Amino acid sequence: MANLIPWRRKREERELAWPELSLARMRRDMDTLFDRFMREPFGLPGFEPGLAGMPRMDLAETDENLTATLELPGIDPKDVEISVASGLLTVRGQKKHVREEKKADYHFCEREFGSFQRTVQLPSTVDPDKVDAAYKDGVLTITIGKHPEAKPRRIKVKNA
Amino acid sequence: MATETTIEKRETQTTQPERVRAGRTYIPSVDIIEQPDKLLLLADVPGARRDDLDISYEGGLLTIHAKVTPRQEPRSATCLLREYGVGDFYRSFEVGEGIDANKIEAELHDGVLTLHLPKAQALLPRKIAVKAS
Repeated sequence: MANLIPWRRKREERELAWPELSLARMRRDMDTLFDRFMREPFGLPGFEPGLAGMPRMDLAETDENLTATLELPGIDPKDVEISVASGLLTVRGQKKHVREEKKADYHFCEREFGSFQRTVQLPSTVDPDKVDAAYKDGVLTITIGKHPEAKPRRIKVKNA
Repeated sequence: MATETTIEKRETQTTQPERVRAGRTYIPSVDIIEQPDKLLLLADVPGARRDDLDISYEGGLLTIHAKVTPRQEPRSATCLLREYGVGDFYRSFEVGEGIDANKIEAELHDGVLTLHLPKAQALLPRKIAVKAS
């Protein structure tokens, strides 16, 4: 057990491809870095930050619908609230500690807990009544259908 | 002579061929908790499935490798936002020799891998009864 040296891996060490570089992400990473620095001197294990975490999201659009995916490992689908209103998609929820983790002796504490929220603007082509959400293997997938009028129609050119 | 010995060494060291896979590999966030009878390791590996996990414990080194199928989007899809990448997860830890390798258990639930690493019997504190003389 003495070989286990508790040291923290910085978030920067996680490789990310260039298309994902964005100012918002950098700012968020800096905020997280500062948060960890402030927490570390106290060394409180299992301390729940309770900060509004911002899970990363992917948005893809096809002719039929809009798909949003978020990586949210370890959450209970009952703790997630998805709402579509006024052209905004909001995903809100809580990541809770597993029972065994409370009052435990931590060597590493890298996973984040607490509440999270993510709001994103949706294009006007989506229909708020056609929202479907599925949670599998820690990935939350939200599919929103489009208005039938918004789907592109092919216009045939007739030989006059 | 110095040059001879170095050449010999290289021949005996057989290296395993490196498997080349497209895509990036990520380092998963991990929580390691010490309990009186075992070590508990929790790793966030969203998108990994049970059959794609490769966990090994050898010589005090615990290695976790999760293969994740990269996202397959239809060609007709337009990407509006891409904030995270999808790729394999790989991380290894020096846990030491005090683990009972035969009793390691692993569970994968909702993208969280839980590893139970029970400590070897010999290292557990034992109560020694004092006999009345």
